[in-house]
Amino acid sequence: MRIQETMTVYDKLNILSDAAKYDVACTSSGVDRSNDGTGMGNCKACGICHSFSADGRCISLLKILFTNECIYDCKYCINRRSNDVVRTSFTPDEICTLTMEFYRRNYIEGLFLSSGVLVSPDYTMELLCATLHKLRKECNFQGYIHVKAIPGASPELVQKAGFLADRMSVNLELPTSESLKRLAPHKTRKNILTPMRLVQNGRQENRQELALYRNAPQFVPAGQSTQMIIGATPESDYQIMKVTESLYQKFELKRVFYSAFVHVNEDSSLPARTDGGPPLLREHRLYQADWLLRYYHFQADELLSESSPNFNVFFDPKCNWALKHLEQFPVEVNRADYKLLLRVPGIGYRSAERIVKARRHAALDFDDLKKIGVVLKRALYFITCRGRMMYPTKIEEDYITRNLLNVGERLPMNVVNMGYEQLSLFDDVRFDSDKVVQMG
Amino acid sequence: MKTVYVCSDTVTGIFSAVYDAWRAGTKAEERGIALRDCLEMELFCDYVQVEETERKAAAVDGMIRKNLGLFAYRNIYQAVLAADARKGSAVLGTLLAARNLSDSRRIMEHLSCPDVGKVFELSRSVGNEAHLLTEFIRFRELESGVMYSPITPKSQVLTCLAPHFADRFPLENWMIHDKTHHAFAVHEARKRWVIVQEERGGTDGGCGAAGGRQEMFGQISEKEAEYEVLWKSFCKTIAIKERENPVCQRGHLPLWYRPNMTEFC
Repeated sequence: MRIQETMTVYDKLNILSDAAKYDVACTSSGVDRSNDGTGMGNCKACGICHSFSADGRCISLLKILFTNECIYDCKYCINRRSNDVVRTSFTPDEICTLTMEFYRRNYIEGLFLSSGVLVSPDYTMELLCATLHKLRKECNFQGYIHVKAIPGASPELVQKAGFLADRMSVNLELPTSESLKRLAPHKTRKNILTPMRLVQNGRQENRQELALYRNAPQFVPAGQSTQMIIGATPESDYQIMKVTESLYQKFELKRVFYSAFVHVNEDSSLPARTDGGPPLLREHRLYQADWLLRYYHFQADELLSESSPNFNVFFDPKCNWALKHLEQFPVEVNRADYKLLLRVPGIGYRSAERIVKARRHAALDFDDLKKIGVVLKRALYFITCRGRMMYPTKIEEDYITRNLLNVGERLPMNVVNMGYEQLSLFDDVRFDSDKVVQMG
Repeated sequence: MKTVYVCSDTVTGIFSAVYDAWRAGTKAEERGIALRDCLEMELFCDYVQVEETERKAAAVDGMIRKNLGLFAYRNIYQAVLAADARKGSAVLGTLLAARNLSDSRRIMEHLSCPDVGKVFELSRSVGNEAHLLTEFIRFRELESGVMYSPITPKSQVLTCLAPHFADRFPLENWMIHDKTHHAFAVHEARKRWVIVQEERGGTDGGCGAAGGRQEMFGQISEKEAEYEVLWKSFCKTIAIKERENPVCQRGHLPLWYRPNMTEFC
């Protein structure tokens, strides 16, 4: 059903922000740009969150869809063609005014523009481009813009959007092409990876151009990201981490986001609804491992393997790795090299950096480590200071495991319920492991 | 006997105290700096009132920049803005400790020294508060078209905030009102920002002026109410019901910031 009467901006904003809320990425980081004195806005590389919603996620950008009309029928999506929801679209003018006025009041850091596919990918992409062009050139907006590339849109349009936006993303949707075929029958892996490659190549060319001409227009300066849904399909954590790793290496992505599957539709090909809620712990473990890949020089194969393909429910991936590699511990804090310090549970990359600097001035003791920011109750089993451990401890897996379990992990506050679903008598989640095919 | 230099809780005050203490030339543990408003007398100490001048402050400012470098300067400057009674002594101790290093520019790496540790801690907390305020400040458009934002910070963060917003909104007239420390950061379109100290006069005229100001800040423009409604509804719809988690929200956005924020009013 189409609603014919005209809607107010208030109604549209309600509908189209509600439809956009399942998109994870709300970062505004990766690019530093000052205002040139003629418009409004600047960008900070660290990223700025302006508020936090009731679910504890940050609100950094005005996250909206251009339209929630869609020609596709993806089974997990609230806006799928076959759903009966109120449909509406913004006009480019409305989006520009909203963005400028919100930005002026310091509500937001910029615009996150996604869209359902209206008429055709090209038609939709053209509308997005027109909006961005208006915002950048007519309103002279110099803040952050994140835009989705619509899979299947022509390369010229993606290119055009890339010169107007700071970050682009193409949603991978699901970790493997098998799953994609099952749940998003109108999308193909190829259609998704093509624009991703396009953006990557565009950025490489642009880098050379910028080296020659410092003031050349920048193409997607904050890089590209993607996201996939976790828990709607039977892939193991190992498969997901392998996909992530190859995305970082082969497509030079800045971030991969994971979104715990939330039931919004009833469909026979989706996992059955359980009381457990979205698999938040699993999502959390994936993010932890993701950080290990990007900041801690870990590889996916070190964390998981074919034989143990899923993350430990009780320990974070780094702790888990350390418990399996006790032969490398304890580490002498005053002498160990930076990369080894990074692998000690309880030492983050910032503390590791501070340790390396502070130990040049004086031999460090446990008190100093505490001030530096090391979490001693976890690190103490794995380190020595000036040759001594903090307490007499055994370097045995069972002993340390027991003690660490006593300490407990400080799970972030968004993981309230254990996301790994409990088995129940009537479980029917259609997870057949033999049907899983790994992405090449 | 220990000499304690007593000064006001301002950058000029503390830097002037550092200037006097530095020239005393006694041992490091025999010099200290205390703030006039939160002075706790100790036994066996001499208390000296510091004469605060711009010249002394500028000399110390220049000395820190020149000898310790910009990175250490930023840390020390932020520590001076903190809401902490011991900050003066910590800054003085850090400067004195820097003399003993072969490369004074690396003083902030010397975290095992208690005074440096204190400065590091203070500067980090002020930096964090300033960063969070750049995020959580909300401007309201007044009838005159001026963007006005009241804040109630713990430390004196206005000088950390103003450059960020001056770069962001060069064509706007805006003003940030620090209600805790009675000061304004004021920016006129296309001009440089300035800090204006509010007069804390007890006379009737002063009260009347303050009352008038309050009234003026309460009058918002026509469009303002409309955008506030839009923003509030956006914040509501963007949350996912299945993931609701107020504890997590409080962790990221503590309650004490919220009275000044549009979406929580």
